Amino acid sequence: MYANKDGIFKIVNSKYMRAYFNKYKWNYFFGLAIIGIIDVLQLRIPLLIGKVIDNIGESNLVESDLSEYVKQVLFLGLIIVVGRFGWRMFIFRSSRSIEYDVRNDLFKHLEFLSQRYYNQNKTGDIMAHLTNDLDALRMAVGPGVLMTFDAAVLGFLTIYNMSTQINPRLTFFAVLPLSLIIIVTAILAKIMFRRYKTKQEAFAGLSDFTQENFSGINVIKAFVQESKEIKAFKNVNYNAFNKNMKMLIINSLLHPIMALITGLSLTVVLGYGGYLAVINIITIGQLSAFVQFIVMLIWPMIAIGYTINLFSMGAASLTRIEEILNEDIDIKDSESVKDIKKTGGSIEIKNLHFTYPQSGSPDLNDINLSIVDGKTLGILGRTGSGKSTLVNLLLRLYDPPGNSIFIDGTDILDIPLHTLRKSIGYVPQDSFLFSTTISKNIDFGLRNSSKKDIVNSAKYACVHDNIMGFSQQYDTVIGERGVSLSGGQKQRISIARGLIKDPPILILDDSLSAVDTETENKILSHLNIIRKNKTNILISHRISTLQNSDQIIVLDKGSIVEKGSHEELILMDGLYNHIYKKQLLEKAIDDTEVSEVEL
Amino acid sequence: MSKIKKNDKEYKSLDKDLLKRLLVYSKPYALIIFSSLILLIIGVILELYQPVILGKAIDEYIDNYSTIYKLSIDSERDGFQYQDNYFVEASGDTSSSPIFAIIVKKEDQYYFLDNLLYSQAEEIVKKENTTSYLNNLSSPLTSDELKVMRKSSIDGIIRVAIKYLLITLLIFLINYGQAILLQYSGQKIIFNIRNEVFSHFMTLSIDYFNKNPIGKIVTRVTNDTENLSEMYTSVIINTLKSFFILAGVMISMLIFNIRLSLITFSILPFIVFFTMIFRHYSRIINRDIRKRLAGLNSFISETISGMKIVQIFAVEDEVYSEFKSENNKLKKSYLDNLKAFATYRPSIYLLNVVALALLISFGGKMAIQGSISIGTLIIFQRYIGKLFEPINQLSEQFNILQSAMASSERIFEVMDTQSDIKDDEDAIELENVHGSIEFKNVCFAYNENEWILKNVSFTVSPGQTVAFVGSTGAGKTTIQNLITRYYDIQKGEILLDGINIKNIKVKSLRSNIGQMLQDVFLFTGDIKSNIRLRDENISMDKIYESSKYVNADKFICKLPDKYSEKVFERGATFSTGQRQLISFARTLAYNPSILILDEATANIDTETESLIQDAMGKIMKDRTTLVVAHRLSTIQNADKIIVLHKGQVVENGTHQELLVQKGMYYDLYKLQYDDNNTKPHS
Repeated sequence: MYANKDGIFKIVNSKYMRAYFNKYKWNYFFGLAIIGIIDVLQLRIPLLIGKVIDNIGESNLVESDLSEYVKQVLFLGLIIVVGRFGWRMFIFRSSRSIEYDVRNDLFKHLEFLSQRYYNQNKTGDIMAHLTNDLDALRMAVGPGVLMTFDAAVLGFLTIYNMSTQINPRLTFFAVLPLSLIIIVTAILAKIMFRRYKTKQEAFAGLSDFTQENFSGINVIKAFVQESKEIKAFKNVNYNAFNKNMKMLIINSLLHPIMALITGLSLTVVLGYGGYLAVINIITIGQLSAFVQFIVMLIWPMIAIGYTINLFSMGAASLTRIEEILNEDIDIKDSESVKDIKKTGGSIEIKNLHFTYPQSGSPDLNDINLSIVDGKTLGILGRTGSGKSTLVNLLLRLYDPPGNSIFIDGTDILDIPLHTLRKSIGYVPQDSFLFSTTISKNIDFGLRNSSKKDIVNSAKYACVHDNIMGFSQQYDTVIGERGVSLSGGQKQRISIARGLIKDPPILILDDSLSAVDTETENKILSHLNIIRKNKTNILISHRISTLQNSDQIIVLDKGSIVEKGSHEELILMDGLYNHIYKKQLLEKAIDDTEVSEVEL
Repeated sequence: MSKIKKNDKEYKSLDKDLLKRLLVYSKPYALIIFSSLILLIIGVILELYQPVILGKAIDEYIDNYSTIYKLSIDSERDGFQYQDNYFVEASGDTSSSPIFAIIVKKEDQYYFLDNLLYSQAEEIVKKENTTSYLNNLSSPLTSDELKVMRKSSIDGIIRVAIKYLLITLLIFLINYGQAILLQYSGQKIIFNIRNEVFSHFMTLSIDYFNKNPIGKIVTRVTNDTENLSEMYTSVIINTLKSFFILAGVMISMLIFNIRLSLITFSILPFIVFFTMIFRHYSRIINRDIRKRLAGLNSFISETISGMKIVQIFAVEDEVYSEFKSENNKLKKSYLDNLKAFATYRPSIYLLNVVALALLISFGGKMAIQGSISIGTLIIFQRYIGKLFEPINQLSEQFNILQSAMASSERIFEVMDTQSDIKDDEDAIELENVHGSIEFKNVCFAYNENEWILKNVSFTVSPGQTVAFVGSTGAGKTTIQNLITRYYDIQKGEILLDGINIKNIKVKSLRSNIGQMLQDVFLFTGDIKSNIRLRDENISMDKIYESSKYVNADKFICKLPDKYSEKVFERGATFSTGQRQLISFARTLAYNPSILILDEATANIDTETESLIQDAMGKIMKDRTTLVVAHRLSTIQNADKIIVLHKGQVVENGTHQELLVQKGMYYDLYKLQYDDNNTKPHS
């Protein structure tokens, strides 16, 4: 048991796990108590039968006495059966409950981690923690705990019998080699732990590779990479095989080495015990009993070896689980948060500077901007100009510096995160939808809208007709990541999802890109009606989308380079006008061609 | 899909077929598995021999004190002194000495009887007329005296101990070797199955991937195959081992006493009955667990992918409670499983106790009556324990087998799914593609009777650029999916250089067509690996050249690691525009004869777009190009515009021609520019 040090101590000493051990302490207590009792009772059945046999041998038993023994054996048996049912329920139930609790904890914590975390960690890795690691932890706190206790009780009872009933000296010399198991397994466990880790990594690599390949199957098919991907997969797969084999080489050693050590111990019993029997220090009967005892010690020893495995894996998994749970929630309500239930739509940005954690150069530079409640802001900018960054800060996906962004005059850092995000409707560039029904996807933010509201927002987003075309209509389940829908349909459902909230502030982040012009116009005209007197932020690279905005800013390299109405910006003759001219040029070419044909 | 479900049902009732199919994979390793089996048998025999050595040591050396000693004149080499005389082992020599001696045992004490005739000593060894001698003993022998007298026994014990040690070492080597051989073949089999499953997935059509959640497909390749590994490493050998032991024990019992054996065997039907009931429920519960676990895991995985949306919509609490209720359902299923186990295992133990009670009751009676010996009773007691061990083992193996079966069921389901898109036997390889494309009365539906394309016909001459225009859902993207044969058409013909594309090898067809997809997918790796993909023939120069061509090198060169800049999951660190640029470079690097663009420029700002337009103009010149775009600027360069509406070609001609017609194209065109009428000169 000393060899479990790393594993079991790590788990027992974990503050986090202690809370759960405490929560289920009575379950553990009763479960372990039952095992203790049963271990003692179980040894009584062979003793009872031994007694029957002895009495028959000495001819002091008549047939009618037999039924008394039968009754006793059956009675003991029934108690043991009930006990065995009991400890399973007590202990395994606790470990399942702990698994359930930890899974909830992990999920809940993950929900509050910021985008920074998700950009740095792969979905596959996070999933591995929620599946494999959770499993390993459960094995440690369920079967691991159970077997350790069982082995300890059985081992103690046996060694106690050996030394008191037979010969302490022989017990010492026979158990000495047996204790080698502890040293050997301690070494093996260390190697196993390391190899298990690399094995898990190789498996995660295999998972990631497969996941990515299937997600990018379109590219693979389009570029006819199938056979090359299969080759690459073979390498990844071979790596997994290799790492698995390396672990198994050590794992497979465990049982044979236990048998070897048991054999060593029996050799001592045979040699030394035999010698003691020859010189009449112990009797032959005691010698054969001693052999029985050694055999009885094998199971506890193997159990210890096995639990070393369980604990070292469980401890490693717990470390990874705790890593997630200890991951800092960097975006949360500040201490100076104000009790605000709902916001209006006036936005003020003052001297905003922002640099992403890993970025070398500033991503936003001295942004000053104010949007009057009910007005529409257009944002024009090239790729990487900082448009999305500005939105990320407004939604507090990343925290802006203090005193830089205000809604209704309050620093957004002082607005409850929940209120802030509930007040903003957002339609992202990539329309991520969930594998559930269309109506649930549209009602994602509110969750209890009437059918009428859902249909209306679908109509505003010009996707109602498409939805009605599906056999299940609004109850159509969208495949994973909405794969069975076209890009345009996904985008419009995503728009409907933003619109249904009827928020004080609506942000369309380049979210009409997959929609054809006719539909775009329709959607924009709907917006004009339903978003009247509400704050809107339209981000686009198309001037036609923005030009009717009350105010337009042009972002370039993280700074506002131009600001004003469409007409003002044109007069300014800067970047906006430059882009506008290009778009005009296109039109001019078209115009000339039309006139040419008309001539 | 309905076909798959049917197969699923068949597997449930035909486990034998599944097993047979699984065994096929072990064929290449039959020799190794067989050697492992041989080693296992030798190991089992040696292990059974170990107690025999112990027993023999007791019989031959410890409990055997019947050595006859003779009087010796002086202290010989192997002799000893007892009182005033010297003795040595007689070793059958009856003539050289008149006086013999022997050790006897009475009530756990040993005594030395000397002054015997050889015949007297022999009588005592044969335990004949011993009472007269035993009533006439001097003081018992001390340990020190025994140590000297029984030196040969002690030597014998040491020899046996060494033999035991050597056999133990041999067993260790054999067992370890056996385990390694078995694990090796098991892992190799899984390696092969995994390769096969993955390779098979690669042959399946896009349609399959669109209809099945990625998470579930990945599970087939990873976890389901992992579940199988135990089936090869544990089930096969352990099942055989358990059967050996079971048969051995039953036969031995029958040899000892038929009646008592039959009485004991009467519990066997109960074991089987209990196991069958358990098996029935366990199967249902395990299916439940797997379904719930898969559901919960895909829920988690999806939520992680869409966490940004969850957070932006501030529905963390709602999603959490949804998750919690799913998690709770899973926990309930696990507890059901626990209850089933917690009932089954003790009930098997109960049967064990019942068997012992039967033994006491019937065996005891028989022993009292003297029809069986006490030894038989002891042997039966030990055998009953051995009878349950393999049955317990077998039911354990059965559980592994069950989960392996379920996994293999799912794996074979995939392996039996055939791609709808297959090469004809006489499909040809394309050479020197000119690039003429013709659609002849093409009709197509993704789902039966929901026609997406109706009688579509058009021709594209080599080198021409054709633009497809129409509202969403008109069938523009579908046309592109059909040219690359992601789907097969139901009616009509698609011809490439006059050859029906069904007669062209799919690989050959696709490698001649460069496709730029709506969603740019980037792989984990770096920028250069995303441009060349896995084609090592694409040189760095080619990568630089293509990137420059599409003006992607500007932003790439600004990255800290330039072309070696890491790309993480799906290219999340790059903007949509940057991802588009990388995908252009990728397509160009592959230098296709035909180019397909699907709204490729849609997400790029005007500045970048103009750079790309510039590059596009250059490549389009030499290639047949089919463009789906709603940006009129792209269409300007088209030689031909095809206007689609509700799956039909409504207009077709050049930009100018179509404008003159004042039909649907004219309307589409007008619409795009109606908003721009704020312009001063209009």
